[in-house]
Amino acid sequence: MDTSQLLKGVLDLAVLAVLRKDDGYGYDVVRRLRAGGLNEVGDASVYGTLRRLYNAGMLTSYVVPSEEGPHRKYYSINETGRARLAESRETWRSFASTLDGLLEEVAA
Amino acid sequence: MNTQALGVEYYLAGMRAALDDLPPNEVAEIMEDVEAHVAELSTELGDDETLEQRLGSPELYAQELRQAAGYPPKTERLPVTTKGGWLTRPRAAAWGLVAATGVTLLAGVAALREPAILLLPAVILVLSLALVHDRGPLQQEIMNLPETHRLKKWLAVEPGTPAERALTYLTSLQPAWWLIRAGLLGLGAVLLAGRDILGFLALAAIAVVSVFAGPRAKVDRRWLWFSLPASALAVGLLFQVIDVTANQLAYGSSSRSSYPQPIVEPYQNIYVYDENGKLLTNVLLYDQDGQPINAPRGYNSCNDPGNGPEPVIPANRYPRPKIDYENGVCYTVAPSVSAPSSTASTAPSSSGSAPSSSVPPTSVSPSK
Repeated sequence: MDTSQLLKGVLDLAVLAVLRKDDGYGYDVVRRLRAGGLNEVGDASVYGTLRRLYNAGMLTSYVVPSEEGPHRKYYSINETGRARLAESRETWRSFASTLDGLLEEVAA
Repeated sequence: MNTQALGVEYYLAGMRAALDDLPPNEVAEIMEDVEAHVAELSTELGDDETLEQRLGSPELYAQELRQAAGYPPKTERLPVTTKGGWLTRPRAAAWGLVAATGVTLLAGVAALREPAILLLPAVILVLSLALVHDRGPLQQEIMNLPETHRLKKWLAVEPGTPAERALTYLTSLQPAWWLIRAGLLGLGAVLLAGRDILGFLALAAIAVVSVFAGPRAKVDRRWLWFSLPASALAVGLLFQVIDVTANQLAYGSSSRSSYPQPIVEPYQNIYVYDENGKLLTNVLLYDQDGQPINAPRGYNSCNDPGNGPEPVIPANRYPRPKIDYENGVCYTVAPSVSAPSSTASTAPSSSGSAPSSSVPPTSVSPSK
């Protein structure tokens, strides 16, 4: 099964999760997702997701000048984002356990 | 390295083209992210690796990003970019900034004479910044203008060349310039302090804010609307200070030769004769305003310490006593030459109404 199809539905959750502790700029978020095991995540998808979460009011952004190269725009999660993260985590857990149960029955 | 830099520019241009139907604000925000991303990626690339191999074509990247961000696909053109045409707000704002900076440079040269002239560039700056203030700190739309790209290309130097080293060195001097700029503006304020309190306050405020404006403009390009004209004003003031100083130096050295003062023979005493050639004594002289006429006192006046306390005599009473050096007493002596009889005839002797010596001529002075 192609995990990239699965990712589409949960990328919001994954991006909010990696921003929960520390603010990050786009490529930073990509790296954290990959370090967390999501090797197939596409750069452009992450950037698009950041924009969507930002436009939905779940992230704020600020610009940090860089010694070499363009400025870096950092995203940080706000209260709305945290609420969404908590809500999505519950949804995901119940969904995953439901699916686990289904798969257990199949295996049994 | 250089081909990588070209690759980045090419890739970003492709991205912009693939996003150009989106609202400009949103494109600017996306490009802020993507520029940093592509720049960072390009440093990780191997020698024969390209951005396309790593990220896919700009069009594919844009398509994936649009999908994830929930933007409509490229075919649905939003009407935002079709209106506006050639004279967009970013373009008007950019040229407003350029014009205001130029005007400030010219006005700065005259700012000490007439500080109110600075209101003209100030109005242009406020108007042009108002056009784009809501477009974010990076002003990506202005950075994307074709004229901005041409300017960047023109300023771009190849790494490793002397020109690049010079540019790097000049860039490192920037904080020093911010301080010098504040100093020049402060000097301008001080020079205005006595004459124009509003101009003084305005220049002093600009001087103080300019210290912060320099570093702020590095992060938020909107500060350029303050920082650039402040630099122009400082340079203009510098020109003016140089000009004034040079003028004063030139004036000081050449004033005597170019503007000869009329030579006045100093006189130390006045002798008055009547029409009969008789020396008048104890004559009080006044000018048309009733002020006593005082001849400059020479060293031979009667205030020698050997004389005791100076006798109280009006300074405008003529002839003054003259000291006799031989016995150290003051007494009036006639001038060495006798009264010129020829000038006596030209004197206004026909007017027999000459006032007596004791009457100040204020009564007959010409009415003021």
